[in-house]
Amino acid sequence: MQPTSVYTRDRCVTGIHGLDEILRGGIPYGSTVLAAGTCGSGKTTLGMEFLVRGALAGEACAHFTATEPSVKLLENIRQYAFFDMNMVDSGLINVFDMDVLYSWLGLEKASFDLDDVHALIKSIVDIVNTIGVTRLVIDSVTTLCYKIKSEQLIRDFLFTLGKKLATLGCTTILISEITSATENAHWSSFGVEEAIADGIIVMGDSERMGHLLRFLQVVKMRGTSHSRAKHAIELTPLGVMLIPMLKWGASADKTSRWGQ
Amino acid sequence: MFELDQQIAEQLTQVSLGSSVQVRMSATNSFAVTASTMIPLMQMFEMGGVYISASRGAVEIIQAFESIGVDVSGIQFLDLVSSGVLGGTDVPYSNITFIDSPIMLESILLRTLYTLRTVSSARNFVFLDSVNALAIYNDDRMLAEYLHTFINTFRQREVLSVMLNVPDQTPPLVLANLDTYCTDLIDRGQVVLL
Repeated sequence: MQPTSVYTRDRCVTGIHGLDEILRGGIPYGSTVLAAGTCGSGKTTLGMEFLVRGALAGEACAHFTATEPSVKLLENIRQYAFFDMNMVDSGLINVFDMDVLYSWLGLEKASFDLDDVHALIKSIVDIVNTIGVTRLVIDSVTTLCYKIKSEQLIRDFLFTLGKKLATLGCTTILISEITSATENAHWSSFGVEEAIADGIIVMGDSERMGHLLRFLQVVKMRGTSHSRAKHAIELTPLGVMLIPMLKWGASADKTSRWGQ
Repeated sequence: MFELDQQIAEQLTQVSLGSSVQVRMSATNSFAVTASTMIPLMQMFEMGGVYISASRGAVEIIQAFESIGVDVSGIQFLDLVSSGVLGGTDVPYSNITFIDSPIMLESILLRTLYTLRTVSSARNFVFLDSVNALAIYNDDRMLAEYLHTFINTFRQREVLSVMLNVPDQTPPLVLANLDTYCTDLIDRGQVVLL
């Protein structure tokens, strides 16, 4: 008797220690994944390592930064041994300042309307298409969406962007800033990003007797089975490292609620 | 002059890289037993690795080895004690990494795994000094779970794990777990009163 063949989607192997194991091989190719986390939880490092691992495999990668200038971002990331500035110089990793992009598009305004949103999507998609980007990080979608005033427009923006990027074969991480990583919290600032995303990775801190322990949890990932357990993470010079959190530790820890 | 406990060295010839060794010691012979275990691993078996110091600061341990003429500059130390002492992390050794607290058990494991990826030696050990010191800060069940994970993690990676322990200062649940999951026992923890 022949074994039943099981269809599995192609994966974007993140290359991040432990994450591909949690995702049973990687992120399904072309997915839009929300990496939602509290401040200092390691979102930007995770996003950058995702790009570096791609660049090491010869993939073209892009990073849109809205939270800090690209110069500052690169200075901060240079401390990690996994990062090599040659990847930026050789064009494998392309870093774009959102402020510069707004300026090119004439979008230097407090809030965006439907036309502005479409212009923004078009420019991002054009960049991805022109360079042949297969890994994209937007850091952060929260900062970007602050300029989009209606919930419906945010939904349209993220849905259309995700759809177009998937068509181009680009796997995307949207970084989202949240103030709490508790189980009852929203995984996004506007409440719509989480519904649009194919996957959600939550990052936060557990407090154990006055010390903060970083954690990562994959709560959703369409197209693959995955672990839903909390994992402790450490930001090492070699990159993000993960191990499952101790079960007895998790029951005793409190998840921090910054800003609440 | 320091004299090695040769029986420990002989017993170590029986262990393999994937072994997990519980080393029982008493409160009075801890350094003698520690040195008698670590020196053969470094010198006879040419191993490198990571020393996790939860009982004392890493500087004190390094200087104790130096005082008996043993160079431990090739060993990486994870110091769980000195961050709790103001000024404790200002040390003259580059082979020490500090971890905030002995309660950050997952961080200790992750840092150890990271450090093992950076060492150049082909055969490595992880020395945990000590289970009873970790028991001061951690709940029994959590520590038992941690040691279970610790032992299996390094066994899987073919890294020799050595766990120092003063049994009469260790909770029964933790001790029972060590007895169950360790592959070897070096027992110098018996106190004989004449």
